[in-house]
Amino acid sequence: MLSQGKITADEAERLLAALDRSAASDSAGAGAASPATRFKYLRILVDSDNGDNNPYQGPVKVNIRVPMKLLRAGVRLAGLIPAQAREHVNEALRQKGIPFNIDQIKPDNLEDLVDQLNELTIDVDVNNKGGYGDEKVKVRVFCE
Amino acid sequence: MIPLVGVINVKHWPRSRSFRLWIPIFLLWLLLLPFAVLLLPVFLVVCLVCRVNPFQAVATFWSILAGLRDTHIEIDNRDALVLIRIL
Repeated sequence: MLSQGKITADEAERLLAALDRSAASDSAGAGAASPATRFKYLRILVDSDNGDNNPYQGPVKVNIRVPMKLLRAGVRLAGLIPAQAREHVNEALRQKGIPFNIDQIKPDNLEDLVDQLNELTIDVDVNNKGGYGDEKVKVRVFCE
Repeated sequence: MIPLVGVINVKHWPRSRSFRLWIPIFLLWLLLLPFAVLLLPVFLVVCLVCRVNPFQAVATFWSILAGLRDTHIEIDNRDALVLIRIL
């Protein structure tokens, strides 16, 4: 571009410096922590608007911040369940129609789940049959 | 580090009334410590019967307690705001 006269020598120098900076930041980013270790909290935000005409409930906002350490500890707790109790739990889950094996709960699986939870938003629209108008509930679950 | 203090904050919107309650959780741990020492043999027996590593169990419960720190729960509606924090 310099030889073609599109940019001046000063502009070319600044462009090269900018490229050097971006290359350095890329190499630093490669050594950064993985997303699983970077996230410290699980955030749950609920924003519920029960309709303007509802005299009993106005808009409700829920903001919950759970430390990831607590979730990891909870997953480790599953490892303490005795084998006999695990069979009972799995059987109870099967009876409830939940095809889930509690033996599969491991810290590694939690990290995978956290990776997927990076930006999960659930929008729930509720049609209120009580005559107070439409309820709108927005649930947002994400890690930060 | 296990949580040492809990804070409960309640605000009523129409009159702007609010109160903040600081709960010294570390006193609870101090009170529970003698009971924990007394229950230690029972805990070891239960772990042996259930074939659970007692050290792993203690480490897990400790990590759960430690993980409670920085928990933040905030519920806000038209009448009041309730905030619970564990520090």
